[in-house]
Amino acid sequence: MDELEQIRERKRQEIAASSGADWPSEAVNVNDGNINDFVKRYDVVLIDCWAPWCGPCRMMGPVIDALAKEMQGKVAFGKLNTDENQKTAMRYTIEAIPTLLVFKDGELVDRWVGARPKEDLSRRLQAML
Amino acid sequence: MDVDVAIIGLGPAGLQAAIHAARKKVKVVVLGKSESSALNKAEIENYFGIVSAKGEDLLRIGREQAQRFGASLVEEDVIKLAKEEDVFKIVTETDREVRAKAVILAMGIRRVKLNVPGEKEFLGRGVSYCASCDGGFFRDRAVAVIGEESEAAESAILLTEYASQVYWVHRELKVSPQMLEKASGTKVEMVPGDPARILGEKSVTGLDLKDGRHLDVQGVFVALGAKGSMELALELGILPDPSGKITVDENCRTEMEMVYACGDVTGSPWQLARAVGQGAVAGDNAAKAVRQQEKS
Repeated sequence: MDELEQIRERKRQEIAASSGADWPSEAVNVNDGNINDFVKRYDVVLIDCWAPWCGPCRMMGPVIDALAKEMQGKVAFGKLNTDENQKTAMRYTIEAIPTLLVFKDGELVDRWVGARPKEDLSRRLQAML
Repeated sequence: MDVDVAIIGLGPAGLQAAIHAARKKVKVVVLGKSESSALNKAEIENYFGIVSAKGEDLLRIGREQAQRFGASLVEEDVIKLAKEEDVFKIVTETDREVRAKAVILAMGIRRVKLNVPGEKEFLGRGVSYCASCDGGFFRDRAVAVIGEESEAAESAILLTEYASQVYWVHRELKVSPQMLEKASGTKVEMVPGDPARILGEKSVTGLDLKDGRHLDVQGVFVALGAKGSMELALELGILPDPSGKITVDENCRTEMEMVYACGDVTGSPWQLARAVGQGAVAGDNAAKAVRQQEKS
């Protein structure tokens, strides 16, 4: 992709992001291959790092799904299965699940470990907007 | 052992549930340890009709009452709970099996924090409260498990599947001989002692004990007490909310048929009066449900 095309693509993404049209209304499954693009595409992104055998992760599932709907256009939510995406898990030194990684403008700005209530997450995310 | 109603938790909610269920002439067993109940060390002065009482005295009287009405008490931690067709299968720390038609979860809320320096700072960076969730992140690394009871034993045994070295740090052990034997057949190294602080930089690098000894570990698993209502509910497929609260209806029924919950695990206020009230409702309804099932 040449420089002009890169600028066009960035502009396209900015316009889409500002209009809210491109914001997912549900949590998107991300993986080692696409997580970088995903966290850069939106202003604020929360990635739920989980695994199928983890009970507290299962408890967080409905909370993340509900917040993805409620905060559409403000925060994008992703889910990363740490068992299948160990490269990313290692990169962010995930040693406990669920871990919620929070990105702002593509940069990791916070990480919250353990299951927590929806109201708590919502309040923390609102503070970042 | 085959019973109609199995109650998990020997605190006020569980014992009141046992009293009410047993009075309905169904076969009742109560499993757990009264000394793990929050009431055991409490002084009570806000309970109807009682000006002042020691929690341990109320528990002792409650156990006697439950037995007088015909309930059996099994003072052992539950380590497994599963549903097999229409029957709930419970396994205790002595490998005892109980099969029940209905289950009441009344384990209260588990204390999970150790409260030592480093614990909060390194949460998720080596400190964990869930060996089954996080054990896989510690492949070929050395870990310490801290705790005296069945959850610590289970965690230590499980972690031997992943970690290169498992130290089980404990004060006075309160586990069954069966669990101790299982642990001794593995690479678990027993370390009697008291944790002082968890050390690290970006993540955990070690654990200091109060007597000055140091363990080189990259993971510290805090595993106090026994498996709680939240963990047992998850084993059945019931989803507590992220604060660990199990949702029940006005009859103390959970989302799963023939599974009831009562006491602190269903929400606040965490008070004796509420626990006892819910225990009565859960015990009554579980017994009724068993009777109805028999008729149909």
